[in-house]
Order: sequence, then structure tokens, then C-alpha cells
Amino acid sequence: MSLNDPNWGRGSRGPGGNQGPPDLDELWRNFNRKLNDLFGGRRGGGGDIPPMPPSGRMLGGGAGVLVALVVVIWLASGFYVVDAASRGVVLTFGKFSEITDPGLRWRMPFPIQSHEVVNLSQVRTLEVGYRNSVKTKVLKESLMLTDDENIVDLQFAVQYVVTDAQAWLFNNRRPEEVAMLTAEAAMREIIGKSKMDAILYEGQDNIANQAQVLMQQILDNYKTGISLSRVTIQNAQPPEQVQAAFDDAVKAGQDRERQKNEGQAYANDVIPRARGAAARLTQEAEGYKARVVANAEGEASRFRQVLTEYSKAPAITRERIYIETLQSVLSSTSKILVDTRASGNLLYLPLDKLMQQSGVSGLTESQASQRSSDAALPIDPGPRSRDSLRNRERGER
Amino acid sequence: MRAFGPVIAVLVALLLVASSVMFTVDQRQNAIVFQFEEVKDVITKPGLHFKWPLIQKVRLFDMRILAYDDAEPLRFLTQGNRPVLVDSFIRWRIVDVKQYFVSVRGDELEATRRLRQTISGALRDEFGARTVHDVVSGERDAVMGRVREKADQDLRRIGVEIVDVRLKRVDLPQEVSESVYRRMEAERKRIANELRSTGAAESERIRADADRQREVILAEAYRDAQRVKGDGDARAAATYAQAFSRDAEFYAFYRSMEAYRSTFRGRADLLLLEPSSDFFRYLKDPGGRAGGKK
Repeated sequence: MSLNDPNWGRGSRGPGGNQGPPDLDELWRNFNRKLNDLFGGRRGGGGDIPPMPPSGRMLGGGAGVLVALVVVIWLASGFYVVDAASRGVVLTFGKFSEITDPGLRWRMPFPIQSHEVVNLSQVRTLEVGYRNSVKTKVLKESLMLTDDENIVDLQFAVQYVVTDAQAWLFNNRRPEEVAMLTAEAAMREIIGKSKMDAILYEGQDNIANQAQVLMQQILDNYKTGISLSRVTIQNAQPPEQVQAAFDDAVKAGQDRERQKNEGQAYANDVIPRARGAAARLTQEAEGYKARVVANAEGEASRFRQVLTEYSKAPAITRERIYIETLQSVLSSTSKILVDTRASGNLLYLPLDKLMQQSGVSGLTESQASQRSSDAALPIDPGPRSRDSLRNRERGER
Repeated sequence: MRAFGPVIAVLVALLLVASSVMFTVDQRQNAIVFQFEEVKDVITKPGLHFKWPLIQKVRLFDMRILAYDDAEPLRFLTQGNRPVLVDSFIRWRIVDVKQYFVSVRGDELEATRRLRQTISGALRDEFGARTVHDVVSGERDAVMGRVREKADQDLRRIGVEIVDVRLKRVDLPQEVSESVYRRMEAERKRIANELRSTGAAESERIRADADRQREVILAEAYRDAQRVKGDGDARAAATYAQAFSRDAEFYAFYRSMEAYRSTFRGRADLLLLEPSSDFFRYLKDPGGRAGGKK
């Protein structure tokens, strides 16, 4: 039933209404006519106006203007503005009747229609575990229990927009609070199913996605009309009490890498060196082989040549070689000639002294050895020479 | 102007009558119409409605989903007597206003008191049958689902539907948290030590491997070198043998001579000689018969 329905008053008047004073009836009709005049322009349809009694026209004077003014103000209160980002929701006697687009709108005034404006473009943000800045933590919200029964300190933000104005308004009391509660509960549920290391080091995006899916599910279940646009983990870290131990573990990981690298560095130093040494050994062996073979070939060739000549005159060549050899041997060494038959067995030779002397003189003579070895008979004035001379003399005697 | 007063009076009277006869029910609301404190009618449709003035009264109820959030977390014991602090919230709404009114006189505080009793009881049961790990992780959904079902069944009797029961925080009490922190610390220490020692082991392994490779490389090189040298020696020996075997006797003589020459080559070598050798045969006897042929 609407107010303009001509029957609307009948029920409410009740049995006593029909016995009302006659002038009340008339006044009512008069009021109705004025109202219809005003509405007429807008609605394009005039009511069925009963013929007016003369007294009605009298009433029309100043009072009519005043009433009209009040009515105009009353009607004007039905104007409202819906800005570009929003939609208007119009209720007729509390019942949802329409959604209006942005612009200047008019609805029926107060007791009949009312409106609410819902912003559909504004991105609303929830901050869980912190306020304004990540540094101002709310530990009650941010400390969460993980799957492996560790505690993690997590701050995250949720951004959402309202996509369904009707659902946003009518289904939940204080939907912003619902969003906040849901965000926290969903994130805790996901964290409760995740391992500490995954939360801290690798799986943050994954966790944020899972949380977003779960939040959206819950919010849809409540028919909030909210659509999440993003869930971002602002910060995930171990609680302050154990921060140092975690840092140390991270450092230990780097230490391990360092040690590995050092080992590798050692290997990179040692192995090429060994290869170098190996190459040297191989080359030296090749050199040795070449030398030995060449020596052999040289000596063999020399022998063969000598042998050729030797076979031509064996006796004389043998004699020559023998004498030449002994000459070169005896000329370069110290010698004592003993005629054993002449001196018998009583000959005393202080061998160690002789050795000593020859050793000392050997030192002094080493410079002159070249010259003395050339000489056929050494005539050095040294004691050994004298000895040998004496020996010779003795031998000659 | 004289008629103006009556007009106002009539208007005011009309408004008064209208307001006592008509009422609106919002989209978000249901209403109960009472007649002398007796529930006469339940209005579930939003819009404009009528009642008898004076004898009938209307009461409106919020039909949206409402939230009940515990101010303080509840303490439950899980299996093994480990306590946890649980902060849950309940999403509920009135589905049967008449029942709701009859049961709790339409008092929301009274209703939430009932909710809280029922749900904390159900939660206590569920938590008592599970471990901390189960309620935090694996069976969170199951706990919430079962509590919701139980509570929903129970609370239908007061005309309330439990839309959802959600565990928000499941935390360990302060004193347990401290021990968790200590355990986390120990665990990290273990990981750190493990990392460091595996690092050292890895490093040692790489070094040892390098040392082994060095040994192998050198040994193989030595082996190959010896092979090459042996080959050289063998070829030299073959060459010598081939050349010298032509006249072995002469070789012995010739080689001996060479050996003498290289053996006695300095003043330090002292030769004690008898003049009876062949070399000295002319020393005493110009005929050459004294030495050798005595």
C-alpha cells in the first residue's frame, strides 16, 4: 500500500472514523487537492478532485502559502547526491527498492523513502598486526602459531572493495569489523598449516594467496558483498626473543658456503699444481729417454768405429790404447812405485799420512792441476813429490 | 487566517494517528506485533505495516548476521593437559524472532551469554579431545565445523542460527610461549651448528678429494715417466748389446780402459804400484823383458 492509494486511510480510521466531524472531511479533501497540485506537475497525473466548497477557497489564503512552503521544503529534502565512485541504495518504507547511479537524485522525502550511499571504488585497507607503520606492531595480533609449533611475528595488509552495495548494507552488522575478524582468522588458519621456514624464507606469496582465497570464501559465506583485491604480507620474522638465534642460523648458512668455497679454492690451487708437476715428470722422463738412447747410440757408434780400426791391427791398437790409458791415469794421480822384491815385506808406508798430504796438496794444487796433469813427469817441490822421487831412487837402486 | 489554527491541529492529529497506526520494517529487520504483551503477529517482510493503536505494540529485531567476539581469550586444556588460549568469534543471526523473543526476551546480551556458554562448552570438548598441533593446524576446520553444528542445533531452540564459528587466535599461554622460544632458539642453534659442521665437512671433503687427485696425478705421472725411462734404458741396452757383442773381448778391454781413466782422475787417488806390471816393463829393462815376463 502506498500513501497515495485512496484506500489507505480506510482501514486505519476504524469504525469511529466515519462519525468524524464534517469539516474534518472537507479539510482533508482540501489538503489532498493542494498536495495533488504539487505532485501533479511532477507525476503528470492529478487526483480525482472533488468539487470544492466555497469555504475551502477562503482557507486558501495565507495559510495555504505557508503549508505549501512547508511541503516544498519537505519535498526538497528528498534530494541527494551520489558521487561518481558510489551507488545510492533507496529504501521505501525500509524495503529495498532500487539502486541509483551517480548524479543528483531525488527520492520521496523522509518517512516514505530513505537512501544510503555506498562507495564501490574506494579501496579499503585493513592492517593486521600493525597500525600505520610496520614498526608500530600490535603483538597480540601479529604473533601466530605455526604448524611446527613455532611462533612467528607477521604483519599483513588486506585491501578490498565493496562490489555489492545491497549485500554490504543488509547482510551484516558492521561489515568492516567482520572483514577484520575474518582476515585475522583466515591468516592464522593458513599460518597454522604452514611451516616456520616456509613463512619466513620462501613461501610468503603462496601464503598470502592461500589466505586471500580463504578470506574470500568466508566473506562470501557471510554474503558481505566484499571483494578482496590483495593480501600482502608486510613483514614476517621470528619474534624478538629469538631473533638473534635466527640471524645466527642465516649466518651459519653463509659460513657453510664460505667454507665450501675455501675448500674449492684449495682444490683449485692444488690440482693444477699437481698437473704441472706431472707434466714436468713426463717431460723429464722423455728427456731422460732421449738422452739415454742417444748416449747409447753415440757410444755404440764410437765403439763400432774403433772396432773397425782395431780389427785391422789388433795388437798394436790394443797396446796403444793400453799405454795411452795408463799414461793418462798415472799422470793425473798420485802414485808410489814399490819394488816389492827389493824391499821385502818390511816396507812401512804411512798411508794415512800420505793420504792426508795428498789431500791438502790436492787442494792447493787443484788450480794448477791442469798444467801438472799435462806434464809427463810431475816435478813439484811438494813433499809427496820428494817422497815419490825418493821412492823412485830407491826403486832404481 | 482564522482557519489556520484548526488546519495545523488537524495535521498534527493526523500525524499522531498515522504514527500510532503505521510502522515500517526495515530491510534488515523483522518485527513482532504484540497485543497486550502477547505475540500477535510476526512480520518478516520489510515495508509499511499497520497495527491497532494503543493496544498493539511493535518490537523490531536486527536480522543481519551479528558477530560475537570474546573480549578475553578462553583457556582450554588440550590432550596431554597442554593449555591453549583460544580467541574465537561467532557469526550468528536470528532466524525465528518469535522463538528468540520467547527464549531470551529479545535481549541480545542474554542471547550472547547463551551463545558463549554453548560454544565455549563445545569448544572445550573438541579441544580436550585433540592435541595442540591438531587444533592449530590439521583439524582446525573440523573443530570449527563440529562446534558450529553442535551450537547450531542447540541454539535453534532459541531461534538463533549459528552461521559460523571461527577460531581466530589459538595461542600458547605466556609461560608456555617462553619455553617455545627457548626451543626455537635451541632448534636454530642446532641448525646453525649443523650448517657450520656440514660446511666444514664439505670443505674437508673437497680438500681431501683435491689431495687425492694430486696423489693420483703425481703417481700416474711417475708411473708413466718410469715406463718411458725404462723404455729408453731398454733401447739403450739393446743398442749397446748389439754393438758390443761384435767383439766381446775387445769390448771388455776397451771399456776397462775407459773405466780406469774415469776412475783414477785426481791427485787424491793414491796408486801403490809394483814396477812389475806390463806398463813398466821398459822401466828397468830397455829390452822390455823385466816387467811382464819375469
